[in-house]
Amino acid sequence: MADFDQILVGEEWEGNELSLLETLDHVLNRGLVIAGEITIAVADIDLIFIGLNVMVSSVETAQEVLSKRQLTE
Amino acid sequence: MAELAYYVYCIAESASASQLPIASLPAAIEDNSKLEWISINTLAALVSQVPRALYSEENLAEHLTDATWTAIRAMRHETVVEFVAKRATVIPLRFGTIYLERAGVEQMLNEKTIELASMIEQLRGREEWGVNVYSDRAVLLSSITSVSPVLRDLVQRAEQAPPGQSYLMQKKIETMKVDEARAAVNRIVDQIEESLKAQTDDARRLRILKVETTEHGELKAKFAFLVKRANFEEFRDAAERLAQEHQAAGVRLELTGPWPVYNF
Repeated sequence: MADFDQILVGEEWEGNELSLLETLDHVLNRGLVIAGEITIAVADIDLIFIGLNVMVSSVETAQEVLSKRQLTE
Repeated sequence: MAELAYYVYCIAESASASQLPIASLPAAIEDNSKLEWISINTLAALVSQVPRALYSEENLAEHLTDATWTAIRAMRHETVVEFVAKRATVIPLRFGTIYLERAGVEQMLNEKTIELASMIEQLRGREEWGVNVYSDRAVLLSSITSVSPVLRDLVQRAEQAPPGQSYLMQKKIETMKVDEARAAVNRIVDQIEESLKAQTDDARRLRILKVETTEHGELKAKFAFLVKRANFEEFRDAAERLAQEHQAAGVRLELTGPWPVYNF
């Protein structure tokens, strides 16, 4: 549909910046917080703090690193 | 050898965990380490060992400022949790939950058995879907007279008024447009929230980390909805109807998911 976007999580990470940012936001800022010995005190690391653009390019770098590693395994 | 700690990804039922042998699972957050289920009573925590020094509070804060370091690990965390969430009911933990000893994880499962088991019941058969609402200001401003009842009324009266009065009313209409546009977006966002809430088991309005301007306009609101898998088609249809309804006002909806249930 032209007036409606649906982004599927997981398989469509590649080449989809928004989906990457959404993913990082979910993982870094949400999820159940239980009392571990160290529950990240950094709970409030915001993407703002890291900087969105830096984050996107880092994710791309990270993906390259990960995919190279998978190839060599 | 470096001292190790236990990094916890998520919690599932022991019965589900036994269906997901370690060899079938994705890579752990750190190299040279394997995922492992720690099972107590009916629950199991998915963990892997990590160097204690790397994840100590002071070092971790430092590493987290390195975006590449963080991105690699956040993606591994997510890959693991998503893999399990596709196959079992799972409680995702926030990135960076660490226990220094295996016994600590066991104790946590033991002490929180009832609470965790009831969370799993609430999440069973459900997924999280995100809805992002964007507003294109130019489109909204050009259509605001038809979107805003107040303006629509004023425009009609201006058309019927004598020329001098009509001119003044036109001036007023122009200055009102910006305020009305803002009010219209808020009204539409609230309506989207209410309509989709009615279709789902739970809803959360999420904070917007950074005002993003994309090809769809500016991000105005982010929601997370807890949706029964069996009801997904209805939820999707409702979102699509809302998208069509508000398209003329420059509002665009984006649906993301299915997510592991991070927000409920």
